[in-house]
Amino acid sequence: MRALYTAATGMAAQELNVQVISNNIANLRTTGYKKQRAAFQDLIYDHVRRVGAQASDQGTILPVGIDLGGGVKTVGTPRLMSQGTLSQTGNDLDIAIRGEGFFKIQMPDGTYQYTRDGTFQMDNQGRIVNAQGNPVQPTITIPQNSAGITINAQGQVSVTLPGQTTPTVLGQIGLTRFVNKAGLQPVGDNNFTETPASGPPQDGIANIDGYGDMQQSSLEQANVEVVSEISDLIAAQRAYEMNAKVISAADQMLQSASALFR
Amino acid sequence: MENTLLIGLSRQMMLERQMDVVANNVANVTTNGYKADRSLFEEYLMPGAHEDNFVGRDRRLSFVQDRATFHDFAGGPTEQTKNPLDVAIDGKAFLVVQTPAGERYTRDGGLQINAQGQLVTASGNPVLGSNGPITFQQTDHDITISNDGTVTVLEGVNNAADSIRGKLRLVSFAQAQKLLKEGSNLYSAGAGNSARPDTSARVHQGFIEKSNVNAVTEMSRMVEVSRAYTQMATLLQQQSDLQRSAIEKLADVPA
Repeated sequence: MRALYTAATGMAAQELNVQVISNNIANLRTTGYKKQRAAFQDLIYDHVRRVGAQASDQGTILPVGIDLGGGVKTVGTPRLMSQGTLSQTGNDLDIAIRGEGFFKIQMPDGTYQYTRDGTFQMDNQGRIVNAQGNPVQPTITIPQNSAGITINAQGQVSVTLPGQTTPTVLGQIGLTRFVNKAGLQPVGDNNFTETPASGPPQDGIANIDGYGDMQQSSLEQANVEVVSEISDLIAAQRAYEMNAKVISAADQMLQSASALFR
Repeated sequence: MENTLLIGLSRQMMLERQMDVVANNVANVTTNGYKADRSLFEEYLMPGAHEDNFVGRDRRLSFVQDRATFHDFAGGPTEQTKNPLDVAIDGKAFLVVQTPAGERYTRDGGLQINAQGQLVTASGNPVLGSNGPITFQQTDHDITISNDGTVTVLEGVNNAADSIRGKLRLVSFAQAQKLLKEGSNLYSAGAGNSARPDTSARVHQGFIEKSNVNAVTEMSRMVEVSRAYTQMATLLQQQSDLQRSAIEKLADVPA
């Protein structure tokens, strides 16, 4: 009874579907989160009667064959890198990106990770760091007692030093692009690392070459849409139930067959 | 006497295959671009020894066999995803995919970009434009796919002018039923069936075509199949009871 196993693949696929959807809903309020979706494909087919086979000695050709499919597989959970909405926070060191780029964060071991989460703070040395305390690249140190941090659309950070009237430029926060953003590997903490699928990182400057621009005192919300997630959830749950029904129907058929032998 | 059993068995085997087809449809109820399969049946006349010259002719035995599964190419519902790399095809056309085994065709428009910048399917096979794979440059952004499949981007600094990166190849077939499902949402053309350019099809960016499996239909077909199977089993059971009692009665030696 192939139907049993076919329906089992369907149930497994829907289980994964619900997992992906629930993770999206859980991260509804996560700054810079990008939603995922499960992508499914049909499994290989058993061509019982191949289309185009000869049906008679006179050379009659079968117009259609018998193809029995084996169910469904999950091919991946691609991430949708669309822009999230920006919300004003009023915090000087909150930066949102409008466009393609990522912030580059240096980890304690010297490697780099990338994020869309621009919730930055100052550490005890005055460096601009992310929530985990890792500096955003290139590292910018804000002198003590300086006032009025401004970050322009290109990422230039300027402050007014004590005893001066004109702002001084301290440096420029860079952005990094990837050919295939969806191929980045999520590593938690809102960060991503490069993979063979994402292509190598290309460092650049905001507002040039399609790197997107920066907006100070704003944060990018998750790009999860509640309504579509909930409707996907309902569809996944119902699909799961239906596959379970197929299993019980196939079971009934087997039962009636085995009841022949008393 | 045994013919009843054999004919019943032929129907049961056929129902089992029909159940497999239904199960595959239900399993793929959330597979983008999936097209449902239907089973077709035919009567099979037993080509046994027979003599038709007498008044009381031999009656032919008629078995049943499944003749084919055919694809239901009706459009599935389209869902708006707002993802620039999702395309839904309005019409009978297919996208052309380059696989190691040759050209394949798909209705699944959930596309991605690989590390080389090529437009690929979820399995990583390039989707072909009229001049081969469609490749994006490193500074491209804001990808737009027009209704006729033309892929344009804004390139780097030049935010005013579009650059064309290619045009999606859309093909359709004279005999769509000959298309062979290969798995992975791909079809191969099948023998003597060639792809021809389809100019009437339209592409919608930011939408995706869902599976066209109608859950209600499949569920009712499933109930029908499993009931028919059970019924057949009962019939076979009664038949064998009949045989047993006949043998017992006939073998009863009167004392």
